[in-house]
Amino acid sequence: MTQPAPLDPQFALEGPLEKHSFPETLTARVVTPGAHPRLHGYDVEADLACHYDPTDILSLALTGELPSVNAAAALRVALTFLAPVSIAHASVHAASLARLCGTASGSVIGVAAIGLAEQARVLLDEHTELILWLKAAGGELPARYRARGEADRETCRRLRAALEPTGLEVPALTQDPAREAALLSVLFTCGLVRREQLEAAIVTARLPSAVAEALTEKITNFGRYPINLPRYRYEELP
Amino acid sequence: MRLPPLDEPTRSAHWGWDEHRYFGHRVFEELAGRESVAGLLALSVLGRRLPPDCAALLDDAAGALTLADPRIWPLKLTRTVAAYGHMVPALAAGILMQDEARIGPWAGLEAAKVLLVIHEALAGAYEDTERVHEVVDAYLREHRFVWGFGTPFRERDERLVAFLPCVERRGRNQLPYWKTMEAITEPIRAARKSERNIGIVMAALMLDMGLSPTQIGALNVGLMQHMFFAHALESAAVEGNVLREIPEAYVAYRGRRPRLSPRAQAAEIATLVPTLDVESSTRRVG
Repeated sequence: MTQPAPLDPQFALEGPLEKHSFPETLTARVVTPGAHPRLHGYDVEADLACHYDPTDILSLALTGELPSVNAAAALRVALTFLAPVSIAHASVHAASLARLCGTASGSVIGVAAIGLAEQARVLLDEHTELILWLKAAGGELPARYRARGEADRETCRRLRAALEPTGLEVPALTQDPAREAALLSVLFTCGLVRREQLEAAIVTARLPSAVAEALTEKITNFGRYPINLPRYRYEELP
Repeated sequence: MRLPPLDEPTRSAHWGWDEHRYFGHRVFEELAGRESVAGLLALSVLGRRLPPDCAALLDDAAGALTLADPRIWPLKLTRTVAAYGHMVPALAAGILMQDEARIGPWAGLEAAKVLLVIHEALAGAYEDTERVHEVVDAYLREHRFVWGFGTPFRERDERLVAFLPCVERRGRNQLPYWKTMEAITEPIRAARKSERNIGIVMAALMLDMGLSPTQIGALNVGLMQHMFFAHALESAAVEGNVLREIPEAYVAYRGRRPRLSPRAQAAEIATLVPTLDVESSTRRVG
């Protein structure tokens, strides 16, 4: 094989990125760097830590403003309703499989976070029309987001009861919504109006329970894992 | 009580005692030692083996696609996560960022969609200049951004220049989608001052191999992973990696100015006026 000619060092070190100028610094827009961080302008250690709780901080981080007392209380209720995700769901099942395989704990958390982000993405995909309806602020709740049965209605009764002391009005709750539609409507009313804000809040709410469930799995417990759930039926094309 | 089985069909694989199956092939007898890595990748994406000349072209492409400068954003992301010292999470992050990204392997999927739409509208009239312009103009009226066109920071995609002779040598430059891609290049260049990039070339080649846009996106991801491995491994091994925390001087804050929260303000007022009801004032301002 012919050996290629050696690279001219000058030529080798020049390329398109050498011909352009770029900024020298990263841009921070939410958190100030350094030993005394501020979040959207508020001193975290001397102010927020003394006067606000993690729900307020979640809302501040995602929206740029501290929530009202009513909105923070309602947000706390909605995030609590959203928190549990059982191992029946792919997000937690995947994290549990990672633990079973002996994956590093950081990566178990990473798998859970990816799974939960995917779960939230699908939820928001399925509720695109609901978000548009909430933004329009009027009319009848689209039929596909109405309660599918007594379980949905029972959840909504509990949700309304939990929200009552907060004093926050969530008009969608009067229109017999399904569970997910009801919870998204509360988050929306609390100021999380953009898809990305809703996805981030849902993942944040669910991550602790998902990780906790995964970490209960015994590492290398392969013989006790239901490997045939579901049972894959291998088929070959004729 | 036994639960009814939940069944799901799969064409992918089965674990046997002495031989395994993979998309209808016996692994040891038919694949091991007989199929290249690119060929196995194609089998995994398509569910069928590609003819040897097509698999060889994928090997050529993987080489030509090797633009792996650590400053390139997806690779920089990989290096940044690897700064904590583990390469696998960094690799996972590098793959994850490709989902629907405007640059990187997944862009091939969108470029394939462009070609499919234009190819159908053109209906084989590659050499009818007037018709080509009509179809391209109609597409451009509806789309501000044309996937597969654009060569950031340079006038042409040097990977494409290097790769085209491979395409010609393997005789893949006379096929329908390739001809569509060739036909629209000049009108789009004229209209948008934008050169084609390797994304649309890969899309044309793979459409001519019978791949769907999703399969094209997936195959592109596979063909470009070697670069992510390189940066995940190298960065994870760097002692005291500067990316783990960039020195403060290199971060410019452009967010909200310092401010006092409503409750902190109320607390300050309460300190000054001890008789004030702090909680009710917090409710009013909070």
